[in-house]
Amino acid sequence: MKADRRKILIIDDEEVVLDSCTQILGGANHELATANNGVKGLEFVESFHPDLVFVDLKMPGISGFEVLEKIRAVDPTIVTIVITGYATVGSAVEAMKKGAYDFLPKPFTPEELRLITRRGLEKRSLVLETMALKREREIMRENFAAIVSHELKSPLGAVQQNLFAMTRDASGSEKQKERLEKMKTRIDDLMKLIHKWLRGISVDMDSIKETFEPVSMAACIEKAVESTAPEAVRKDIGVAVAVHEPIRLVLGDEVSLTEALVNILGNAIKYSHVGTEVAVRAEEKNDRIEISVTDSGVGIAEEDLSMIFDGFYRAESGKAAAGGVGLGLAITRRIIEAHEGSVSVHSELGKGSTFVLSLPVLRSAPPEETGAEGVKDSAKGGTG
Amino acid sequence: MSEKAKLLMIDDDPDFVEGIKAILDDAGYDVDVAYNPDDGFKALTSQHYDLLLLDIMMGRGAEGVMIARKMRKDPVLNQVPVLIITGIREQIAFLFPGQAVHPGFVATDALVEKPVEPDLLLEKVRALLQAAAEKKGK
Repeated sequence: MKADRRKILIIDDEEVVLDSCTQILGGANHELATANNGVKGLEFVESFHPDLVFVDLKMPGISGFEVLEKIRAVDPTIVTIVITGYATVGSAVEAMKKGAYDFLPKPFTPEELRLITRRGLEKRSLVLETMALKREREIMRENFAAIVSHELKSPLGAVQQNLFAMTRDASGSEKQKERLEKMKTRIDDLMKLIHKWLRGISVDMDSIKETFEPVSMAACIEKAVESTAPEAVRKDIGVAVAVHEPIRLVLGDEVSLTEALVNILGNAIKYSHVGTEVAVRAEEKNDRIEISVTDSGVGIAEEDLSMIFDGFYRAESGKAAAGGVGLGLAITRRIIEAHEGSVSVHSELGKGSTFVLSLPVLRSAPPEETGAEGVKDSAKGGTG
Repeated sequence: MSEKAKLLMIDDDPDFVEGIKAILDDAGYDVDVAYNPDDGFKALTSQHYDLLLLDIMMGRGAEGVMIARKMRKDPVLNQVPVLIITGIREQIAFLFPGQAVHPGFVATDALVEKPVEPDLLLEKVRALLQAAAEKKGK
């Protein structure tokens, strides 16, 4: 806890309330300020920087509700508690909606006031700590990316450069050359992995927006299916694609969008049981392209669902499956969000998952003329 | 070229330098090396080089950029072509947040990423030397 005293502001039009609160809360632990109307109170919010503000709901002039709203606009981390003589559930709920932390019905005992004050200040500490942690996390994330970038890539680059030089040197035996090639491949894989990490953590997705152009999601799906086909064949998983034509183009970056689909489809295959099927479906709905990828694999537990897009996280159910660092979905979300789209997931542990990508259509372009009507079906991968 | 082209490489990673130098030596270039920006700039001003191979992230930060800027202001040094060899693609995002990576932030140069394939390296070096020679001939 900070050494300085916590600041409490009380805004109430009744002098007797201000006096009694001052008496009860005054002393070594807190620094107090009082205001007998909303306007004065708001001036104090700006000049006094309180940690906690008590606001009477019913005051002449601007109302307590308005005061609450304005405090929130000045500094949403300030904890507010409403004092109310008409403690109906309705007004209390209304105040909470405006961001109040709690409410104190009049009349109250000194003990009640002390208790709610202590809770309010604890809340304030929590809010401040959470903010500090979030900031710290952001800084760590950026620093981590910088460290990975320089400290890991430099030595690998030096090794690889020397391998390049050695490969050109004709003096080695065939066997040595073969080994050098293998080393080059492994280093190259490792560098690609680091690039992928960095992409998930630091790279500014806004920069890809500069090169957006009309993209066919049907083409992206085809490429994604192709690039995940080896794994699908290996696990004998059928990938059924249904693109409900006509669907319009989207504005975006084809490489990134394909990468997003590869991540989702790759996961579906990775977490599927051998010999099952994965369904990819695309359709246009309300000016958006929706692409869903459904598997009947291991599924994700409800408590894990909120974390899977965060990066470096793998659900309990996914840990048994081999490989991966848990960044694919974080990258996918960043890519899709850079395209003004959204990613959602429905899943049931043991039953499977459905991931849905939703992207806005490119409105200015007319729908693509395709000869084919209705549903185009194709299947790739294992035959089941 | 009848005479060996004289190149200077400024890079603070001796192991990486060795990998580049081996390729360039092998191709018949005469390569001097400086392992820090100060020595590098001293070398540049003390004798003529046909080409500079320059790392960006050295010392406390992007000191390679400082060298490039100093060269651009110098009427003699700004005639020397610069090949930037760097693992900068990510670092540059820290230097110039929100801006697209732009290889042409120093006049007349080219940029390759570490590590660089020998054929690409030799081609870039050849192209830069040739362009500089043509410019001189005019």
